[in-house]
Amino acid sequence: MIFQPAIIALLLGSLVVTIMVLAASGFGVQVLRRWNIGSGSELQVKLERQTYLISTLMGFACTIELVSLLLFVFNADRMASQFVGAMCAVGTLNANEFGFPALTLKLINFFLAGIWLILNYVDNKGYDYPLIKPKYLLLLVLAPLMATEFGLQLAYFLGLEADIITSCCGSIFGSDANTVASEMGSLPLSTSMIIFYSVMTLTLLAGVFFILTGKGGIVFAAMSGIGFVAAIQGVISFISIYIYEHPHHHCPFDVIQGGYNYIGYPLYIPLFSAALLGLGVGGLLPFRQKQSLSEVIPLVGRRFAIVSVAGFALFLTVATLSIVFSNLIMFEK
Amino acid sequence: MIYLDNVHKIFNQGKVNEFQAIKGVDLTLEGGKISVLKGPSGSGKTTLLTMIGGLSRPTSGRVRLQDRDLSSLPERFLTEIRRKTFGFVFQQFNLIKGLSVLDNVMVPALPTGRDHKEVRDQAAALLGRLKIAHKSGARVEWLSGGEAQRVAIARALVNDPEIVIADEPTANLDSALSEEFLEIIHGVKQEGRTVLMTSHDPVVCDAQVVDRVVSMRDGALVDGHQA
Repeated sequence: MIFQPAIIALLLGSLVVTIMVLAASGFGVQVLRRWNIGSGSELQVKLERQTYLISTLMGFACTIELVSLLLFVFNADRMASQFVGAMCAVGTLNANEFGFPALTLKLINFFLAGIWLILNYVDNKGYDYPLIKPKYLLLLVLAPLMATEFGLQLAYFLGLEADIITSCCGSIFGSDANTVASEMGSLPLSTSMIIFYSVMTLTLLAGVFFILTGKGGIVFAAMSGIGFVAAIQGVISFISIYIYEHPHHHCPFDVIQGGYNYIGYPLYIPLFSAALLGLGVGGLLPFRQKQSLSEVIPLVGRRFAIVSVAGFALFLTVATLSIVFSNLIMFEK
Repeated sequence: MIYLDNVHKIFNQGKVNEFQAIKGVDLTLEGGKISVLKGPSGSGKTTLLTMIGGLSRPTSGRVRLQDRDLSSLPERFLTEIRRKTFGFVFQQFNLIKGLSVLDNVMVPALPTGRDHKEVRDQAAALLGRLKIAHKSGARVEWLSGGEAQRVAIARALVNDPEIVIADEPTANLDSALSEEFLEIIHGVKQEGRTVLMTSHDPVVCDAQVVDRVVSMRDGALVDGHQA
C-alpha cells in the first residue's frame, strides 16, 4: 500500500521537511541566544550570512508543507476505492487510528508554516533583520510538530491494510452520529445559513474597512479566523447538501471528487488562503512599531488583506452559486 | 563619513590555506575628500576597499557609512547601496566588450528604472565632460588605456554616487595619463563627492589633490594612520 506515488511523495516530502526544520532548529537556537545586530563579532557576521541559506531552505520546506496538505487530502480521496466501506477521504482516513490525527496536525502545520512564510517575507523587507527572532522562535515550535507529523503519516500509511472494513462519511457527518461534526450538520438549516452569511459578511466588511482605512487589522484577523470556522461549519451543515443534492449528506470531503466537478477545490483553496493571509495581517501588526518595518507592514498588510478578501469573496460566491443552482429544495415557497 | 570598526577579513577560514588579509582595522574616512590607501602588493588595501564598497563582507567587524551599518545589510539592500551610493573604477576597467562606449556608461543605470532617454543624455554629458564624447559610438575594445579609463570614470558617475572608489586607477597608465586622471578626480571631489583609491603609485600618493594617505602593510594600518 505504501508504494504509491502520492504516498511516497508525501512521506519523502515530510521526511525532507523534517530533516530541514530540525537542522535549521540548531541554527535557530543560536540566533535566539546569540543574535546581536549591534555587534560586529565573528559569530554575528556568520549568523547574518547563514540566515540567507537557512531562510531560503525553510521557505522551500514551508511551501512543501502547504502543498502537501492538498496532496494528502487528494490522496486520501483517491485511495477510497481500495477500502471496503470507504466512499471518500473520510473512509481512507478512518482506516486506522492515525488518519485523522495526521490530517489534524497537517492542518495546524499548514497555518504555522504559512505564518512562518509571511514572517520570512516581511523580515526580508527590513534592512536590519527585524523579525529574525520571532521567525526562528516559530521555527522551534514547528520542528517538533513537523517531526510528529512525519511520524503520524508514516504510522498511518504503514498501517493501511486493504482488507480493513472502514466507515464511510455518514458515520461521522451523518445526523445520527454522535460527533461534533454531526452536531454541526444537524443544526437547523436557516440558523446555519444566518450564522454563515452574517459571519462572512462581517469578515468581508472588516477586510474592506482595513483595506480602505488601514485600521481594524486585529478585528479583520479575528474575523478571518472566525470566518474560517464559520465557513467549514457552513460547508458541513448546508453547502454540502446542496452540492450533493441530498438532505442528509454533510461530508466536507466528497466535494473534492470528480462526481461533484471537483468543486471542493475552488471552495477550499481560496478559503484556506484567505484565512491564512487574514490571520497574517493580525500577526504582523505587533511588529509595525519596528522602524525598518514602519512603512513595510501597512503596505504588505493591505496587500494581504486584498488577497484575503478576494479569497473569502470567491469562496462565498462559489458556495452561493452551488446553492442557487442546486436541484435540492429545502425551503417551501 | 566612512567608519571601519575592528574589521577583519580571513579567506578560506578553517582550511589549511587560511589567510588573514585584514587584521583589525579601525579607520575613519572623511566625506568630500580624496583618500588613498597606500601599501605594497598584498598589504590588504584592495580587500579593504572592496569591503568599504560593499563588494565583500568582513569576517568580523563593521563598516558604517554615516549612521548606517553597511556590513550587516541583507544582500538586496546592499545591492541598492552599491548601485546608488558607490561608483567603481576597477584596475582593469572591466568595460563590457562588444558594447559601445555610450552603452557601457549607461549599464549601471539600467537596473534603476530611470527614463532611458534621461540616462542616455546624462551618459553623453559625462562623456563630454571627460572629453571623450567623440568616441561614444565606438566599441570599447578599440579604446586606448587612457580612453578606457575615462569611460570607466564616466560609468562610475552615471548614477550620481556619493562615493567614488578606484582600485589602482593608474596602474595601467603612463605618468601623463596619471596626471590627467588626477585632474579628473579633483573635479569629481569638487562636485562634493568622496573619492577613495588604492595605489602604490607615487604620482597618486604624492599628488596635491590627495587629502589623506593611509599606509597599510600586512593587512593592518601602519602606525600613525589609526582612525
